[in-house]
This record gives sequence, C-alpha cells and structure tokens, in this order.
Amino acid sequence: MIVVYIILRLVVWLVLAPLLPGIINKVKAWVAGRRGPPVLQLYYDLARLWRKGVVLSTLASPGFIAGPAVAWIALLAATQLLPLGSAGAALSFRGDVLLLIYLLALARFCTAWAAMETGSAFEGMGSAREVSYAVLSEAALITAVLTLSVHTGSITLVTMLAPAAGAGAVLLGAGLFVVLLAENCRVPFDDPNTHLELTMIHEAMILDHSGPPLAAILHGASMKLLLFALLLTEAVLPVGELSPLAAAGALAGGVLAVTVGVGLVESLLARFAFRRVPMLLTTGFLLCLFALLVAWKGGAA
Amino acid sequence: MTPGPFLLIAVIGLVMSIVVGPKFRRVWLALTLAGVVALAAASLLVLAGAAEWEWRSTTFRIGGELIHLRLDALSALFLMLVGLIGGTGAVYATGYWSDEHYPRSAPRGRAWWSGLVLSLGTVLLVSNGLHFLLAWEVFTVCAFFLVTLENQRREVRAAGWLYLAASHVGMVFLFAFFCTLAASTGSWDLGPMRERAALASLFWFALLGFGVKAGIFPLHVWLPSAHANAPSHVSAIMSGVAIKMGVYGLLRFSGWLPVPAAAGPVVIGLGAVGALLGIVFALAQNDIKRLLAYCSVENIGVIFIGIGGALIASSQGNAWWGRLALIGALLHVWNHGLFKALLFFGAGSVLHATGTREMSRLGGLWRTMPWTAGLFALGAMAISGLPPLNGFVSEWLVYLGLFDAVNARGASAWAAMPAVIALAVAGALALATFAKVSAMVFLGAPRTEAAIHAHDCGTSMRGSMLVLASLCVAIGLAPVLFWPLIGRAAAAWNPAWAGTADLPAPLTTLGPVQAALALFFLAAAVGLWRYARRNGDARRLTWDCGYALPTARMQYTGGSFGGIASGWFAWILQPERKLRRPRGPFPTEASYVERTPETVLERVAGPVGNGVMRVSTAVRRLQHGRLQSYILYLVAGLVALGVLVVFGGMR
Repeated sequence: MIVVYIILRLVVWLVLAPLLPGIINKVKAWVAGRRGPPVLQLYYDLARLWRKGVVLSTLASPGFIAGPAVAWIALLAATQLLPLGSAGAALSFRGDVLLLIYLLALARFCTAWAAMETGSAFEGMGSAREVSYAVLSEAALITAVLTLSVHTGSITLVTMLAPAAGAGAVLLGAGLFVVLLAENCRVPFDDPNTHLELTMIHEAMILDHSGPPLAAILHGASMKLLLFALLLTEAVLPVGELSPLAAAGALAGGVLAVTVGVGLVESLLARFAFRRVPMLLTTGFLLCLFALLVAWKGGAA
Repeated sequence: MTPGPFLLIAVIGLVMSIVVGPKFRRVWLALTLAGVVALAAASLLVLAGAAEWEWRSTTFRIGGELIHLRLDALSALFLMLVGLIGGTGAVYATGYWSDEHYPRSAPRGRAWWSGLVLSLGTVLLVSNGLHFLLAWEVFTVCAFFLVTLENQRREVRAAGWLYLAASHVGMVFLFAFFCTLAASTGSWDLGPMRERAALASLFWFALLGFGVKAGIFPLHVWLPSAHANAPSHVSAIMSGVAIKMGVYGLLRFSGWLPVPAAAGPVVIGLGAVGALLGIVFALAQNDIKRLLAYCSVENIGVIFIGIGGALIASSQGNAWWGRLALIGALLHVWNHGLFKALLFFGAGSVLHATGTREMSRLGGLWRTMPWTAGLFALGAMAISGLPPLNGFVSEWLVYLGLFDAVNARGASAWAAMPAVIALAVAGALALATFAKVSAMVFLGAPRTEAAIHAHDCGTSMRGSMLVLASLCVAIGLAPVLFWPLIGRAAAAWNPAWAGTADLPAPLTTLGPVQAALALFFLAAAVGLWRYARRNGDARRLTWDCGYALPTARMQYTGGSFGGIASGWFAWILQPERKLRRPRGPFPTEASYVERTPETVLERVAGPVGNGVMRVSTAVRRLQHGRLQSYILYLVAGLVALGVLVVFGGMR
C-alpha cells in the first residue's frame, strides 16, 4: 500500500513538473500577442532528447554524465520531502527541511561540476555565477525557513508549512518569490530564452550537454521550479489546515498563480545587469529577515 | 578490559619508533602503526562504554609533580583522531616523503612524526597542569620541525617561525591560565572543579591560548602559511588533529571549570564570524593547500558555533538542545579531521605529480590521476556538507541544536539565529570554493606541461586516502553507529547530558535515507552513463561559440571563478591588483597580477609586531656593555631610591 502510494506520488511529480515551463511560455506569448509553443512543448523535447545519442567533449570525464544523473536524483528526493497539503510528505522527520536545502545544494554542485568538465569559458562563467548567487539566495532561503520555524515552533516541513505564515506572510511570500526567480534562473536574474551565452547562468552551464543527460537536466530544472512554487504556496496559505479537496485546489491555484506571475515578470521586466543581481537578492534576503522579525514578534505576543 | 595495557603498548611502540625511525623505514612503520592501533583501541574502549581510566603514580615524578593520567570519553574522542590520522599519515608519508626523494629530511621526518603522535597523545592523557604545559610545548616543537622539514626553502622557514612565534604567544596565555589555576587551587592537579565559581574568569585565558592553536579567526595568522608550506602529510595532521587540540583544550577546561556567563555568546559569535570569513578567504586563494588551510579556519568556526551553543545551553539549565549542538560539534571534529586529511593527501598527490600548488597551472588531472580525482571529489563533497556524506550529518546536528535554541525563545535565540544564517552562507560559500578547486585542478584541459605529464599516486598514498574516504562514507551512511560514542564524550563534558542510550529519532531516519540516496545516486549515474552511450557517443571538441581551436589558456581561471563572491568581500580581503595594460600599436607585454594578502597578518599582526620590535630595539640601546654607563644607572637608581625614601618618609 505504502509502496503504491509513494510510486503514485513520484509519478505525479515526474509527470506534472514539465507543465510549468510550458505555462510560463504560454503566458509570455499571450502577453506579447503571439500564439507561442504548445503547453506540452517540454514533454516533446524531453521525449526527443531521451531517444538521442550524446556528444561528449573530448575533455569530459564520466562525471559529465554522472553529474546530471546525481543532480536529478537529488532534486527528485528533495521533492519527496515536500508535503502536499494534507496528504503529507513521502518522508517526514525532524530537520527534513535542512536535508531539502542541502539536496538542492548537492544538485547545484553536480551541475557546476558537470559544466566545468568541458573546460569552456562559457560554462565556467555560468557555474561561477550559479554558485556565487546561490550564496545570497541560500541566505534568504534559510531565513525563510527560520521564519517558518519560529512561527510554528517546529523544524519538520509538514508542521512548518501547515498554517499560514501569519502577519509576515506577504513579506515572506515576496522574499521566497525572489529566491524562486533566482534559483530557477528566471528573468530578471537570467534569461532562459537568450542565445547570448555571456548573459546567461543556467543555460550557459549546459551548453555542451546533449541527449539523455540534457533531458535529465531540463526535467530536473522543471521539478525544481515546481518545488519552489509549492513551497511558496504552502508557506503563505494555510494549506495543511484545509480539507483534502480544498487543499488540492489551493495548491493547484497557488502553483498556477506563481507560474503565471513568473510569466508576467518575464514579459514585463528586462533582465538585470549582473552587478545589480546581488542587490535584488539582498532585497529578497531582507524581506525574509523582516518576515522573521514579524514572526518573532507575533510569537512573543 | 581497561585501556591501560593498550596505552602502554602505544607508548612503547611510539618511543621505539622514534629511536629506530631514522634508520629503519619498515620497522618504523610497523612500530608506529602498532602504536596508533593501540591508541585507537584504547580510545574505542572508553568511547564504547568502558569506565573512565585513571592512573596515579606514587613514585614517578616529572618536574616534582607525580604523574597523573586520565582517559575519559572526551579525551578518547580526540585520541581516536590522533591514532587515525597518525596512522594513515605515516603510511602516506612512506610514499609521499620517501627516502629516495628526500634522503636528508625523510629520516628525521619519521622520528618527528612519531614524536608528534606521542606528544599529542600525552597532551590528551595528562591530568596535571605542569605536565600539560610540558606536553603542549613538546607537541608544538615537534610540529615545528615537521613543518620545516624542507628547511632549505625560505618560505618554509618563514612559515615555521611564524607558527612557532604565534604558538608561543598562545603559550603565554596558557602559562597564565595554568599558573593562576594552580595558584588558586593550590595544586597542579587537574580535574572537575565546576563548583568553584571564582575560577570562571580564567576561561578568557583559555579561550585566547587555545584559540591561537585552534586557529579561530582572527587568531589564525600562523595557520595558512604553515599548512601550505608543510609537507602534505604534515599539513594533514596539523589541520586534522593539531588544531583540534585547541578545541580539546577549550572543551576540557570549559567542562572542568565553571565558565563566565558571556562565554557562550562570545564563542558562538567567534564561530559564526570565523566560519564566514574563513571560507571567504579560502575562496580567494589560488594555492590549493592555502585554500584548504583557510577552509580549516571555517570548519573550526563551525565547531565553535556548536560549542558556543552548548555553553549557552549549559548556562540555561542544561537545555537538551545544547547536547545536539555539542554532539554536532564533536562529530564535526572527527569529520573535519577525516575529510581535511583526505583533501590534503589529495593535494599532496597533485603536488607530488606536478610539482606545483598553483591551481592556475593545473587542470584536467582526472585523466592521469583518476584515483586522486575521485577521492578528492568525495572529500570536496563531504567538506561542503553535502548529503549523503559525513559533513552533512554533523552540520545537520548543529543546525538542529540551533533551531531548537531559536524555538526555546529567550536570549539563546538571539545568538542562534545569526549563527544559523552564518552557517548556511558559509555552507554555500564552501560549495563555491570546492567547486572551484576541484574544477580547476581536475577538470577541463591541462594548463601546463607539468599537468599533462602527471601520474597517479602509489599504493601507500592511495591506500591511506581510501581508508579516510571510506570512513567519511561510513559516518554519512550509518551515523547511528557513531552517535553513542560521541554521546559519551558529550556526557563527559557535561554530566547533566549523560545517558547515551537515547537516539534522537530523526537520526535513525537520516541514516537509512542517506544510504538509500547513495544507492540511487550510484544507480542513476551508472544507468545514465550506460543508457546515454547506448545511443552512440561521439567525441567532439568543446563547443566554444564555433571557435575551432580552443586552447587550455582560454579556460576559466580560479580567480575568475571565485571573483564574483570574493568581490563582495573586498573590504576584508583587500586584494592587491597590478595591471600593465598593453600599449602602442604593437604591444610587447601586458600583465595582470592579483594577490590576496593575509589581511589579518599583514595589516594587523604585522604592524603590531613591528611596533613591539621597535620599542624593544629602543630599550635594547640601554644595554651596550659599557661599564661606566652601568655604574651611572646604578648611581641614578640609588639616588632615585634615596629620594623616594626621604620624601616618602616625610609624608
């Protein structure tokens, strides 16, 4: 029974995740007045890439392929720690939120490692940006976790995400949204559509990847986006306190709202110059910090 | 069974290995290994639950004091590390610092190595203030001679002197600590005396004295150059074990003596700042061993955060979360010893194979040194605190303790919240640092001839790295096995936290989760490798925007990789840049040099030291050997005394 339940959950995550980039692209096309690619475009891409062969750099070691594989598993494991409303998480224990954060870090390390395998300056640039900006977004993320922990007195994701974030919910939501944009390499931090490698982060790291490893990377990225969208929704809304049906609706609505929001941001905002990126990330960190103070005050009263 | 016989075997083995070491390589190795295995066995006995071992001689005296030895769980924890790194380092040294390559220094290096292991063990065992100071000094001196094995090089000598000088500045505080302690208790004998509240202020002497040895920021000035310039097996024991003696001293005497109320917040603050700035300096380095050395400053910071949490908890009615933080810190002592030694061994293999520590001269070594590359990568992941390895377990325990401190509310939360953020940021920076060093050294294309013609290390070096790597994996996958051992050490520090039978529920979950993760990682990596190549794998040049002839010099360098994050910390790093622009229509030369100075050493400790030297030189002019002047001093002194007597009496 439990096995079936976990497999079902895995399938939901694996199948639903690639929907998000499609929705974002649709929103962007709609704002720009174009028809845009089909919502299911990423599924087609993944299926095609999975069937293809790989082209490896002459410099690449087996780590070039092992990196994306480990990163994908790490992201998948991280998603299984995240509770889905009243359905809970596949696995829940005290301190699981820290495992989640460090699994994301592991995925980052592996992607950066695989990128550096090629000895290309583009990939070096991308990895350097990825690991550097992650310093600031990790600060914001741990502060958000502290906020939730102070608010609920717990460090288990299921308990932390059950109630709404209280008075600081708006601050926390805004801070987490900034983290979401940065961690998933969206505008204004990164432009997933550009063809100019010099200006990219994530795309620059995967320039030399092809075939099944590229599919793993793209699918992992979409799972990460869904993970952050759900985290944001559950942090702000009292999803854990609703009835299962209402919770499912709230989750779906929340994720859709976040996705559309990302699409709108991408349509209405230009990518920032790289020297301004740290400022925006610091703003995200400060938002989370203020949310922490609000939660602290709220708990004391 | 008691640890006594094992310790006797260890002492005999190590003393004999000092004597025979210079002449007979194999006998030395056998004796040293016998000694360290006995040390490890003795400490394992105590950690596994045997009673605390104590031995008081009634006849043997050193310096007029009766010998008093004691091995409790706390010292056993550190003794285990001494045995482990002492043994693997000895094996590594036979390949790395062999008689063929270093006919002059290798023989004495063996004797000093055994001497260092013996003196480290003695520091952990003695329970007498005077003997502690003696053993501490012997250990410092042994380490000095090991650091300066290659004493024909100027920078090695400079690093050695700096280490010796800094150690003795710390020693002054330790003298103050032990002498004041002996004066106020009336005896050199050491032991628990928590009820004597008057001794609390001595903690500050201990913090300064042991802090210098531990290399906590900003007392770390000696550490980077000593670790970078020592032979790599020496760097490993210095970084893995010797600096932990500072942690041991701090723990030992904060456990036995009462501590002032401010101790916890100060230690946690030092730890948070040290963790952050240590890793920032590491990120900015281009010398692989200097980078690893600075990273030790970070890890000592992490350990201090845990200890600070434990101190705060002890002062707040022995709150249970303090135990988590302390056990996290103690486990991190082991973990850091393991993976830092592994990384230094890896760096040593690279140095051995290519002759350079400059990352910008390396690259692409995975092809010629696959074993070193793989094991170094494992160490890099472990030290970045990534699951499923051991670094994550200890940092996770520290986090758990700190989060509980936050949720306990009250004053402890205000110390714990910044510490949590500092720990997370330091973790992310550590990831950037180790992504940089592994990528620059092992990935991409070789940047120089030396890197092209590298070769992998021999069996002895590989074997000792494998032992350390497998222990890193073991602690990561089965933390439950190690919990009771560390728990006993925590109970030795604070008896209120005794009772090691209880396992925190999350740890029993985390172990299997990590094991499952490791399995899935392996399966996915192998599976994807096979599957991807089944569809055909073409080998092509790296795509460089269509450029057909990429050269190794076009790769990203370590400086540019770390440039973004270290740019945010330019206020403390104070990088020095020298740019010579290309001039004229046919430029002949252009260069750009960037150097990160040892800010604390060059901008703070250096000027202070120079000031002291200037004053001393000025005072020294009074002493010049001219008898007439000396008689003048005498007369002047007598007159002054007379004046004092006459006028003082009138009042």
